[in-house]
Amino acid sequence: MLIFDQLKKNDPPLRALTLGVLIGLGVLLVGLWWVQIVLARGYQASLETQSFRTVRVPAPRGRILDRHGVALAENRPRFNIGLYLEELSPQFRATYQQARPRQVITNALPAWTRWLGFHTVKTQYVKLNRAESDALQWAVRTAVVSNTVAELATRLQQPVPFDPAQFRRHYQSRRALPYPALVDLAPVQVARFQEQDAGLLAADLEIQSLRVYPFQATAAHVLGYLTSDDTSHPGEEASPSYRLPDYRGLVGIEGGYDAQLRGRAGAKSVLVNILGYRESEVVWSANEPGRNAVLTLDVRMQKAAEQALVRSGVNVRGAAVVMDVRNGDILALASVPAPNPNHFVQGFPPGELAKLNHPTLRPQINRATQEHYAPGSIFKVIVGLACLENGLNPRATYRVQPNPANPGRGIIYVGRRSFRDLASPGDYDFRRALLKSSNAYFIAQGLQVAGIENIVKLGQRLHLGERVNLGTRQETAGVFPSLRQVTGGNWRDGDTANLCLGQGPIAVTPLQMAVMTAAIANGGTVFWPRLVARLEARTDEAGPATAEETFPAARVRNTLGVSDRSLRWLHEAMLADTEDPEGTAYKPFREYYRQPHAWRVCGKTGTAQVMDAHNRLTGHTTWFIAYAPYEAPRYAVVVMVEDGGSGGGTCAPIARDIFTALQRLETGGANGLAYTP
Amino acid sequence: MGWPTLPDMYDALLNERQSRLDKLQAGAVLGLMLVGALFVYSATMVNEAAQLAPLLQQSWFRQLLWYAVGAGGALALCLVDYQTLARWSLVAYGITLVLLLAVLIPGVGSVRYGARRWLDLGFFQFQPSEFAKLAVVLALAHFLSRPREELKTAAVYWKAIGLMLLPFALILKEPDLGSAIVLLPTGLVMMYVAGVPRRFLLRLVGGVGIVMTLFLVDVLFAPPHWQIKLEDYQRRRLQVYFGIRSIPPDATPAERQRLLNEYRDYFHNIRQALISVGSGGLTGKGWRQGTQNALGYLPRAVAHNDFIFSVIAEEKGFVGSVTVLTLYAVVLFTGIRIAGQARDRLGRLLAVGVVTLLFSQVFINIGMNIRLMPVTGVPLPLLSYGGSSVVGSLIAMGLMQNVYRYRKGY
Repeated sequence: MLIFDQLKKNDPPLRALTLGVLIGLGVLLVGLWWVQIVLARGYQASLETQSFRTVRVPAPRGRILDRHGVALAENRPRFNIGLYLEELSPQFRATYQQARPRQVITNALPAWTRWLGFHTVKTQYVKLNRAESDALQWAVRTAVVSNTVAELATRLQQPVPFDPAQFRRHYQSRRALPYPALVDLAPVQVARFQEQDAGLLAADLEIQSLRVYPFQATAAHVLGYLTSDDTSHPGEEASPSYRLPDYRGLVGIEGGYDAQLRGRAGAKSVLVNILGYRESEVVWSANEPGRNAVLTLDVRMQKAAEQALVRSGVNVRGAAVVMDVRNGDILALASVPAPNPNHFVQGFPPGELAKLNHPTLRPQINRATQEHYAPGSIFKVIVGLACLENGLNPRATYRVQPNPANPGRGIIYVGRRSFRDLASPGDYDFRRALLKSSNAYFIAQGLQVAGIENIVKLGQRLHLGERVNLGTRQETAGVFPSLRQVTGGNWRDGDTANLCLGQGPIAVTPLQMAVMTAAIANGGTVFWPRLVARLEARTDEAGPATAEETFPAARVRNTLGVSDRSLRWLHEAMLADTEDPEGTAYKPFREYYRQPHAWRVCGKTGTAQVMDAHNRLTGHTTWFIAYAPYEAPRYAVVVMVEDGGSGGGTCAPIARDIFTALQRLETGGANGLAYTP
Repeated sequence: MGWPTLPDMYDALLNERQSRLDKLQAGAVLGLMLVGALFVYSATMVNEAAQLAPLLQQSWFRQLLWYAVGAGGALALCLVDYQTLARWSLVAYGITLVLLLAVLIPGVGSVRYGARRWLDLGFFQFQPSEFAKLAVVLALAHFLSRPREELKTAAVYWKAIGLMLLPFALILKEPDLGSAIVLLPTGLVMMYVAGVPRRFLLRLVGGVGIVMTLFLVDVLFAPPHWQIKLEDYQRRRLQVYFGIRSIPPDATPAERQRLLNEYRDYFHNIRQALISVGSGGLTGKGWRQGTQNALGYLPRAVAHNDFIFSVIAEEKGFVGSVTVLTLYAVVLFTGIRIAGQARDRLGRLLAVGVVTLLFSQVFINIGMNIRLMPVTGVPLPLLSYGGSSVVGSLIAMGLMQNVYRYRKGY
């Protein structure tokens, strides 16, 4: 045997040498075993850490659809042109070699060296220090990229801007990702880019997903808007090296259902070389697209409601709610003025961002759910119901005294206070009092017949002063007195009188008034309003299948607990408000009723005073609540306009327009409400 | 079997048809050459630019050419009896000294990577230190093959040391610490095998050991104005090997950061080599599939010569490393066998010298790749890319074959 022969020989020095070589090789073997077998995993991990970068790839966001499947918010591809720096890297090097400063040195060499062929004149590179060579490298890179961008501009036949500072930032922080030379190309540009021989340029198209709202500002408050947010969520790769742009919903459906809409981001890993340039990439975990949300809104009704609001005046600030009285589905939830959610994603045109923060217009507030107002005279329907339940004879008349200061108007004295009436003095029964909106009648009956406690209990059955839990992060509960408040020592008759007029410690949202109107219309059922009908199941191939999540319709929250008889009297009185010539809403509906097959609309107007801190009148909140058709009610419509003229003058015409549109939609045919995506 | 009979001895004398070639060693050398060509290819053909270059400029092809030249040179040497060669040893030694001096002259020697080690002959960068190693082995073998009694005198002893130290100092001046270091164990082992009294050697080793320790302590730990003059990078290499980061306590945060960055840079090569070797695992990633080299983490400048073993370890794993070690083991042990079978002391010393030379280079280079030894510029014989190294190693193997050829007849 090779080694053992040497060891056995009677030759000590060679034996020692053999032993020495053997031990040396053994040490190397053990060392190699230690590094390659024992510590292998650690070194493999180090290799991966230094040469792999992970990129968080957001998932396509779920769409938001109306009840008929029309897309209110969807994604469209956005094309960018990215420059691949790893392909430009050889050009960087070559240009750097050309750009390096050189100096010419002359050597006075002895003659014999010249004979051997050595030259006297040589050029050699000037030795640059670290800072100088860094500066030269930056200049070279910027020049190469700038030239590439110029070449791109020539091919696209349009100017392409290039910002050296932006390129430097990208190079320093995101070298392994392509540099975006041009973002958001139009289809013409995409076509032009692709038909050129783009393979010669180190550029290619990158596709990102862009959120678009095809209907612009329609249903803007319901939909909400997005903000840039690329943080990782639970279930995703915790700390990727790079994050592609992603969004998060702030308010509305985008905000409230953000977790379901955004899906789950995936990750891809990029192999980089020592200079940080990309070598290759592989998708590590696929993303899971978000789920679509189907709303109960009907976009045609929504548009009709918004157009009716906007057409009623200049810079109108108001809200309109259309609700299905049979099950509490919200068919339209309009609030004007409204921002355009596309601006939040695509950028604001000049001047629009300033408008967002306008102190009076306040377009970001959802006036239908997020702001509460004094209901004014529309609260009289509740007062009236409470009175009827507690034994009011609707046919009995009550005499309203004339106001001494203004004999054309009525007045009532409660204690030391006087409450003026807009209606004229005279005899009023229930029907006439409601259609003329007589303050005196309702104050008297409210104080004597119903009593504040019954009124408050009825209001509590309607859950006034409580949230509706719509899930859109745009809610206020409103204000309503509690039983303890009204039975405590501090409550006076004057306060009751105020409450009967819908003023005082009471503030409601238009949505709450829609629930109230629907309860009156459908015979006493107080529904939970429903905005999201269901979250659709994911039907695409990848990822686990998720079942559809349906939110049940017609969820009952409470009942009014009033008799059918009382409701019938109220229905008739509300019908008279639009049909009787004395009714406050008669004029706007007169022309409407001339149409064939026009619905019979039951309604109530309201005008509430808005006081400032010093109890001075600063404006009026005008209301109109209505439902139709009278015979078999289907739709409840609530219109509120801030600082309108009067309920009948401002809000009723808006409601009338909405009912016209609703009727046209039901009967079908040419209705001028074409979809304009 | 009885005593050899007269006819048998006659036959043996006449019939010198015993093998002239140690086939096992030759086989191992061929194996190493094949491995060298394959992995120099893998280490250098990493991008399109390299693949598009003309064949003559591709490193693996040049390596094959050098293999041919070296083999030719070795073959030529084998034609001549090594006794004859030894007579010319002092001439060769003198020429080597002249070349080593020439390299140090600024106009003549060419500078690369901060070291002046080469003579630029246009198509070929000639590195005298590689041939100096062979010349020292030859000269020392010749010098030490005098009668044993003479070796016990101090004068001969010191002359032998001087023979070794002169080229050592010249190579150290280049600066080329690695090549210089390799000469020391070679000389020591040759003196030991030659029969120099053990007490001399022990004193020598002890003395050198003490000097080295003092040197290291001074370089690493002493305050600045006590420190021996070393090049900055050499000091840093030693500090990196021992894992010491000496930052003067009164350094400003910016200076501290700068020093830490420097250490990180110096440690970079070793760290990347360790990652290359370690991530190979048991079977490696496959020929030309190594990412450390392809992506440039293992610096391109050293991947094909000093750190070629890291490339082999990454691509062929533990299996590949052990194969390479085995091939070298075969070469070394057959060399020792040749030393045992040598006809005279000259042959024995030649074989022993070559074996120790090769072994030192293998040990230092592979040790450097796995952080057992500090980083020094010692090439791996036959595997590292480099004309001078390849030709020198092949000529060394040729010397061993030469000794084998003229060995004892029984």
